[in-house]
Amino acid sequence: MVEIGVKIAPVAVSAADLKLGSGPVEGTGVRLSHAETKARYSLRARDAAVLDGVLGRKLPAKIGDTADGIACLGPDEWYALLPEGTTLPKGEGLPVSVVDVSSRALGFVLEGPGALAVLSSGCPLDLAKLAVGRATRTVFETVEIVVWREAEDRWHVEVWRSFAIWLWHAFLAAMHSSGGHAAK
Amino acid sequence: MLLIHCPYCEEARPEVEFVYGGEAHIARPLDPSTYSDAEWEEFLYIRSNPRGRHHERWRHTHGCGRFFNAVRDTVTDVFETTYKAGEPRK
Ligand SMILES: [Zn+2]
Repeated sequence: MVEIGVKIAPVAVSAADLKLGSGPVEGTGVRLSHAETKARYSLRARDAAVLDGVLGRKLPAKIGDTADGIACLGPDEWYALLPEGTTLPKGEGLPVSVVDVSSRALGFVLEGPGALAVLSSGCPLDLAKLAVGRATRTVFETVEIVVWREAEDRWHVEVWRSFAIWLWHAFLAAMHSSGGHAAK
Repeated sequence: MLLIHCPYCEEARPEVEFVYGGEAHIARPLDPSTYSDAEWEEFLYIRSNPRGRHHERWRHTHGCGRFFNAVRDTVTDVFETTYKAGEPRK
């Protein structure tokens, strides 16, 4: 461990910090709320088997697949959404990167039969084809998000905190405008 | 909306998830200190700029994050094929 002599204050990220409504917000056939607080990790490794060994679990191998709160985002990249307070081994000395990025993003939950229409109002990817239990990085309008389909009508959306205020209000606007024809 | 097939994700994805990365298969100098000004000029600035089939790099920035190569027709904008970085020219 290299001591760099710089103290970095922990960043408290919550809906309250960002002056977002505490939610949930109900629309026609859709409900927007804040996801429960999570521990977030960015995991990288060229050889997934090494990372499997460090974490003591088998990571999903196919891009888009998820297992036990970990999504495979790319051929050498995984994103972990774990219960608050979870810590993962760092794998010091091994060719892996295990980085706590808990403060980097916020999670929103869109649920209900109109949730897909709200997401699709700004996301050009055909999310209807994203099977339940799969996740992907993509964009909403111009903002990068990670979408995780937790159930047929339940979507967890991860967004970097500097974009969170905008995305929250974009979802509210979409819920308002898709109103009566949000049902799938 | 143009769809681009990502060879890593193995599916067609919307163009806005990608970033263009210039002409493909341009080898970096193995021993830069031996390069003449003319060779540097060639490496840094001179591109084939064809009318038709163009081998080019793309990055699936807002997806899997990977660079890959594509053959795109510069007249019709049609993608002929895409393939993983490191694979031979198609
Ligand atoms: Zn991809």
